[in-house]
Amino acid sequence: MISERLKQIILKELNLSNFDFKDETTANQVPGWDSFNHINVILAIEKDYDIHFKGLEILKIKNIGELQKLVDTKLQS
Amino acid sequence: MFSSIDFNKLLQLFVYDPQDHLFFSTSFFLFLFLAMLIVYRLAAKSKNAKIFTIILFSLFFYYKNSGYFFLLLFLSTFLNFYFGNWLYKTKSSGFKRLLFVLALVIDLGLLGYFKYTNFFLRILNDLHAGNFQPLDILLPVGISFYTFKAMSYVIELYIGSMEPTNSLKEFCLYMFFFPNILAGPIDRAEAFLPQVQNDITVTKEDIGRAVFLIMCGLFKKNVIADYIGINFVDRVYQVPLRFTGVENLLATYGYALQVYCDFSGYTDMAIGISLLLGYKLMDNFNVPFIATSVADYWRRWHISLSTWLLDYMFKPLQMSFRKWRIYGSAVAIFLTFFAVGLWHGANWTYVVFGLIHSTYLAVSLLTIKYRKAFYDKLHLTGTKFLKVFQIIITFHLLLIGAVVFKADSLKTAKNVFHQIFYFFHGVVFFQWIQGYSKVAILILLGYILHFIPKSIDKKVQNLITESPLVVQAMLLAVMIIVVVQVESAQLQPVIYFNF
Repeated sequence: MISERLKQIILKELNLSNFDFKDETTANQVPGWDSFNHINVILAIEKDYDIHFKGLEILKIKNIGELQKLVDTKLQS
Repeated sequence: MFSSIDFNKLLQLFVYDPQDHLFFSTSFFLFLFLAMLIVYRLAAKSKNAKIFTIILFSLFFYYKNSGYFFLLLFLSTFLNFYFGNWLYKTKSSGFKRLLFVLALVIDLGLLGYFKYTNFFLRILNDLHAGNFQPLDILLPVGISFYTFKAMSYVIELYIGSMEPTNSLKEFCLYMFFFPNILAGPIDRAEAFLPQVQNDITVTKEDIGRAVFLIMCGLFKKNVIADYIGINFVDRVYQVPLRFTGVENLLATYGYALQVYCDFSGYTDMAIGISLLLGYKLMDNFNVPFIATSVADYWRRWHISLSTWLLDYMFKPLQMSFRKWRIYGSAVAIFLTFFAVGLWHGANWTYVVFGLIHSTYLAVSLLTIKYRKAFYDKLHLTGTKFLKVFQIIITFHLLLIGAVVFKADSLKTAKNVFHQIFYFFHGVVFFQWIQGYSKVAILILLGYILHFIPKSIDKKVQNLITESPLVVQAMLLAVMIIVVVQVESAQLQPVIYFNF
């Protein structure tokens, strides 16, 4: 389940008004989320939640559901 | 009856001969593949028998094309299998990292030795750092492709995004798989290994698609690419100064199509042959000349290589440089495309090719906001006019890269540009049409076929799928006859075999 906060960060960064994110949604299914914008989305999430991702953690992620889980783990630790 | 058969000659067919390769379009391959398919069908009940049939056939296929270099393939396979599984099981992150770096050093070391040693010596000579004689090193065919396949296994295990296979037999099948060993697609272990583990089924749709792809591949590679290459493009690029600018320009349009038909035709055959064995390889091309930007082009051209470099090189670099934001991405682009250039071969032309493409992408990235604002202001965003304009501009930007890519030296590339810009002589076009009418027709046909909507492709594919098997076999036979009629006396290897 994608939180409203994460959804809003992504929508704002990609200049989208709305998008139906599901756990299994991958970046290439989201308009504008290309390899160049990817880093901007990651930086926006880090800034908003005040967390820091490791390179390997990001590379391992396959979909938005896994991104949400990673954010949750970071917030708990 | 058998007295008339020269068994020595027959035996020679099975021995490596540098002048006689076993490519998909040779009659000997087609005969052997049919025989292998029969054995494969007979072995249908035993999964192991099927796997070993493909492994043995693949080894023979690789041996016939590269001789004793198959030992290097063994080495790469075993090293990456054991290193990958070892690092996956290792708990200590430091030791895991050490194993990972060691595996990469060995993989890139082997690739570097065979591919770049003489290039490196040439650079040292040019810098007057010594007077080194080139070493007698032959490039093992397919090494760039199977090394990247092996590396993808180790990298995915290091990242932790896939489980290792404990079966060396399955990993051997992944590494040796003959349809993609010489020129890709560079399939990922993550997508291929589950197919080996699951029960293999070949559906009616798979057979129809396979026949369609093999026919397309034969036509693209053996009719269009080989014909325009031998009869026109190669002649111009050998001595560009002997031809006018218009001929140089037409040769460059021809080359862009030739290299696409050559490589994508080979890939179509590889995907089709795999489908007949029950394996699905990844797509490698998606109408690249319809790209509306250079970035879009790299999402459509040699997809298995571009996604490999995107995932394993660009993204990690981009993450490392993220503090520099957009400029970090630009640096990551330059480094990745330096690798793209070098991957294609040890020559300055490829380095410059990488540099041209990285410049395109970096400029595009740094100006995207302004271009978008400009299009919005002119109310062009989303219009067909803008799309067509972008396709034409992108295509011609690609042609600049193609000149450098095709030329055997930077001087040759310079000569091609010189003729186009200073010795154009447009009227020669009409003489060219008369003198090279077959080439002109094939170039035109090639581009028309390229831009045909996918829905029509799909309809033809469905039509073939719904036809009886006899009709499908006949269609294939007709295409083989066409190929034999057009084919030049000398077998033309796929351009990408050299990479």
